[in-house]
Amino acid sequence: MDIAVADRLQFAFTIMFHYLFPIGTMGLAPFIAWFTWRGAKGDAEAARAAAFWTKIFAINFAAGVVTGIPMEFQFGTNWAAFSAKTGGVIGQPLAMEGAFAFFLESIFLGILLYGKNRVAPMAHAYSALLVCVGSWLSGFFIVATDAWMQHPVGYAVAADGRIEMANLWAVLLSPFALWQYTHVMTAAMLAGGFIVAGIGAYYLLSDRDLAIGRRFVRAGVIVGAICSVLVVFPTGDRNGSDIANYQPVKLAAMEGLFKSTKGAPLAIIGMPDSRNGTLLDPIFVPDLLSFLAYGNARANVNGLTAYATELWPPVEVTYYAYHVMVGLGTIFGAISGLALVLLFWGKRLYRTRWLLWLVLLAMPFPYIANEAGWTVTEVGRQPWIVYGLMRTAAGASPTVSGGETLFTLIGFAGMYFLLGALFLYLTLREIGNGPGAAHE
Amino acid sequence: MNSAAFVILAFMLGIYVLLDGFDLGIASIAPLIGRTGPERESAMRAIGPFWNGNEVWLIAGGGALFALFPKAYASAFSGFYLPFVIVLWLLMFRGIAMELRGHFATRIWRDFWDFAFTASSALLVLLFGVALGNLIRGVPLDANGYFTGSFGFLLNPYALLVGLTAVAALALHGATFAAMRIDGAPGDRATALIPKLAAIALLGFLATSAATAAIRWHDLPATWTFALPIVALIALGLAARFALARRTREAFVASTAFLAALFAAAAATLYPMLLPGYAGATGIGIFDAAPSTTALLSAIAAVVVGVVVVGIYGTVVLLPQFREKVTVNLNP
Repeated sequence: MDIAVADRLQFAFTIMFHYLFPIGTMGLAPFIAWFTWRGAKGDAEAARAAAFWTKIFAINFAAGVVTGIPMEFQFGTNWAAFSAKTGGVIGQPLAMEGAFAFFLESIFLGILLYGKNRVAPMAHAYSALLVCVGSWLSGFFIVATDAWMQHPVGYAVAADGRIEMANLWAVLLSPFALWQYTHVMTAAMLAGGFIVAGIGAYYLLSDRDLAIGRRFVRAGVIVGAICSVLVVFPTGDRNGSDIANYQPVKLAAMEGLFKSTKGAPLAIIGMPDSRNGTLLDPIFVPDLLSFLAYGNARANVNGLTAYATELWPPVEVTYYAYHVMVGLGTIFGAISGLALVLLFWGKRLYRTRWLLWLVLLAMPFPYIANEAGWTVTEVGRQPWIVYGLMRTAAGASPTVSGGETLFTLIGFAGMYFLLGALFLYLTLREIGNGPGAAHE
Repeated sequence: MNSAAFVILAFMLGIYVLLDGFDLGIASIAPLIGRTGPERESAMRAIGPFWNGNEVWLIAGGGALFALFPKAYASAFSGFYLPFVIVLWLLMFRGIAMELRGHFATRIWRDFWDFAFTASSALLVLLFGVALGNLIRGVPLDANGYFTGSFGFLLNPYALLVGLTAVAALALHGATFAAMRIDGAPGDRATALIPKLAAIALLGFLATSAATAAIRWHDLPATWTFALPIVALIALGLAARFALARRTREAFVASTAFLAALFAAAAATLYPMLLPGYAGATGIGIFDAAPSTTALLSAIAAVVVGVVVVGIYGTVVLLPQFREKVTVNLNP
């Protein structure tokens, strides 16, 4: 097996599995901080809510740590050439993630879990806040690293070809990174909102834990609705124009646009056929793609055929991942928007069982949308590992064979199957136990 | 500058060895100090609040290696590909065993997880020791700094000797921690085990020192570093003496000093190389690629933040727990 293909398969599998858990921690942490703070102010129900979500968070956190360790070391094991060349830049945000964010998050989670009766209520609330800050900082350093690979800035090339850090702040605070970060975080918060609302809906539909279930539904629906908007505008929109400006081939693949067009239409659905260079059975909105990408309905948008095929990312994967993300985002907006209206219209939402069912069943889909979004970002970056600077195929470890990687990939698959079963079992058991006072 | 980076890296990994050392060590000897299920469970509860935080130092150390010495990071991890991935699997499996054990109430599951916990921990220590042994012995590298040997090359007698010594040293460390933390029969057994483990560690230490001197005679470290093995020997003796006097807290401190001196001696032997070449091959040293100022400063900041935050955690959460010993729960 080709080594770079095997390495990419292993990275894709391990990162997509790993990312399921940061979605949970980054998405739930603000809720925990909020409930813990209300609890510290004397709201007993909020304190129970905080304790319940902290348990779910802790399971996510443990699974995130266990699956995160291979991520950090995979740069060295499988992508040694990439690490040796660019480690002067990407090593730093990754090390900061380990040091600042990870210490903060794990230590204060310890206080949150074990320190409730040992520290003052407000100190407990601040611990929850710091756990939240830690998990969001963690996300920031990872996204900053990825954003540099998408749009490298603030670097210098040394005499021996190694890429060195020239300006740390330019790397960390590049506008590309900040818009990508806000998009990623609102998407995680959207998932958090749908998780909290979904579990609340589950309790209401099961006729148990009614008061706290309503509270979950209310908090989750409000956050979910706000984030369904923010994820599109401004964050998604700004991401899109960054891609149009810096990665036009990726944009063409995302939209399934093969021929350069003035007043390019937006394909709502359709099936790209990269071999024949056509989009089959499309439904178009005229001029919309030109407008979204460049703010001008008549602007020219370069199609894939404007570039050599060796510069194309895998078109079908990029296209479908993008359309899955956008399609699901639209559905999230519809569900949470409708739920929000019924919530504020005399609390009809709590009695509207069909909509509660929808909220419950929607729970897994923000995970799919988050993973699809990352698929667009990373698969769409191909054939580059660092956009315009280094090819993915040149980044693989020269001393590791495809067979070895395939073997370890199978090993990871086995290990993660066990871990996934364990995670589901523990999480479902906590949900079954519920936030009731009896389980304090 | 480069030496400062080396010291920081050694400090972070050293902290990892001292901290995760006791929980890996306790796991390795759990069947010796706990005869029954509840007794072995007390060993797990003794390290329950610590192990995750301890492993964070490994992650932080790995990140620091990446940021400070990318070339060594890339070469070492891709060169030791299979053993390294096995280490990752063992780390994961150990975490799973630890977290799962309490969730299944039946005897057969408990026995299974106990075995998985002990076996994966002991194997991890052995592999860490083998890796350290290979670092000291040197590895074959090509002109670009990539490993050219095989898996079999890494399993040489010298590296295995270092691995076994590491198992003995950390078992001793774990025993002192168990003696200090656990009440009742398991704690007593751990205390009785300390002098025996100290004797085994002494044998391993002497054999490893002799073998290291034979391998590295052409490239001896600075003279003052020879004080480190002497400190180690004194600390080892003290650990055994304190255990015989049943002063378990002092025994733990002595064992910590023993490990710290051992680790410092290994780091001093390695300096200024990170990945020495074997049999004349050029290795990768700390002067091959100067770490940038920002990398060094962020690593220093990370260590300071880490120590401060861990200090807060230690005083607020762990110290109160420390005052009470773990007891064997007879009515689970």
